[in-house]
Amino acid sequence: MFKNKFSKLVWVLLCTFALPASAQLKYEKESRLAVEEVPEQARNFIKAITTSKKVKWYLEEGLDRSSIEAKFEYKDHNYSIEFDSIGTLEDVEVQLKWSEIAPTTREGITQYLANECKKHKVRRIQVQYTGEPSTLLQKIVMGTTTFKYTTRFELVVKCRTSENVALFEYLFNDQGQKLSASKIVFKNSSHLEY
Amino acid sequence: MSTKHSFWVVFGVVLLFPLVLLAQSSYRFGALPSVNLNVKLKNDWSTNFKIESRQQFQEGNFGAEKASGYSYVLTDYSAIVAKKTGLNSKLSGGYLLRFRDNQMVHRLIQQYTITQRLPSLRLAHRVVTDQTLSPKEKTEFRLRYRLATEIPLNGQSADVNELYLKLSNEYLNSLQDAVYDLEVRLVPLLGFTASESQRVEMGLNYRLNSFVSGSPSHSFWLSINWYIVI
Repeated sequence: MFKNKFSKLVWVLLCTFALPASAQLKYEKESRLAVEEVPEQARNFIKAITTSKKVKWYLEEGLDRSSIEAKFEYKDHNYSIEFDSIGTLEDVEVQLKWSEIAPTTREGITQYLANECKKHKVRRIQVQYTGEPSTLLQKIVMGTTTFKYTTRFELVVKCRTSENVALFEYLFNDQGQKLSASKIVFKNSSHLEY
Repeated sequence: MSTKHSFWVVFGVVLLFPLVLLAQSSYRFGALPSVNLNVKLKNDWSTNFKIESRQQFQEGNFGAEKASGYSYVLTDYSAIVAKKTGLNSKLSGGYLLRFRDNQMVHRLIQQYTITQRLPSLRLAHRVVTDQTLSPKEKTEFRLRYRLATEIPLNGQSADVNELYLKLSNEYLNSLQDAVYDLEVRLVPLLGFTASESQRVEMGLNYRLNSFVSGSPSHSFWLSINWYIVI
């Protein structure tokens, strides 16, 4: 008797808790795209770099904007190229090793991280190029270009301070000066823990 | 033999192992619905409340006529408090109250989890020790290890309104009254991220035990999980 009443009470309480949770408005979604769904302009840009069939296309949808991303491997590096929803190039990101960054840039980054964190570990480095599509295409395919473009470095860093440990995404310019920093918030993983 | 071939041989043996044990073994079919409420607290603390009920539809021995039909088995209520100890790790402790056959069973739980975030999936390692106390039986001590993974079926992460696969494999070592047993669990589930705070999962929860020193016992539960985060 007691057990049945107790069970019913707990189930009712749980359902009540669930109602406000379902009213959240946050909307952020990333999904795979078939190559046929990608705007021609974006497809042509990638075709000029590689004819590999291993290019993966993604659609990233936020509340106020959407973008298209192509991910592939080229010349032993992982590339991630972002376009807007109509296929205009936004930026090119290439995964790098720490040793591939110029010594002066590395010095600036190291100095900044040493000041910010008691202890740090760089988890991922991406160089980010922005500029004219033709300039970036030349940079990717030939490895160099005489035209102007912007270089930035995006680093994912595990940073331990005296208070806690967290994962941050930092953006540095090519002089190693910090442009922005944001804390990475993990998705809830209670369904994997309990 | 190449590494690839070795993998498939080992995979085949693991997959066929339960079938070899079918002879002279017993089975149970049923359902295992659960509701899991996770509450975030300040300073990296969180709590987890869970209700899980077990309903049995049929049991018997393989190759023989069914022994019994539907029966209600038990209901578990648990509360766990967790503290984040690192970027990906949590240390937890809690208590489970089980209602079974008109008696109450108490379980103390200690748990450590590490969640790895890889480019297209998440992996969670879980080590649990627990002690089960009941009025009619001697205390049972268990040491468990579970590897669970979430594989998104669209894109690189299981976002809102997307499906994912959750696969887990757990090994439970049990010691009760100087008798050792090992239980192996394989749980393939199909999950759906309904919102940032709610997920539902459904699939098979297969358990194999008593095969170390007796007749193997196979349990096939239809697992239905509802996860809520507030």
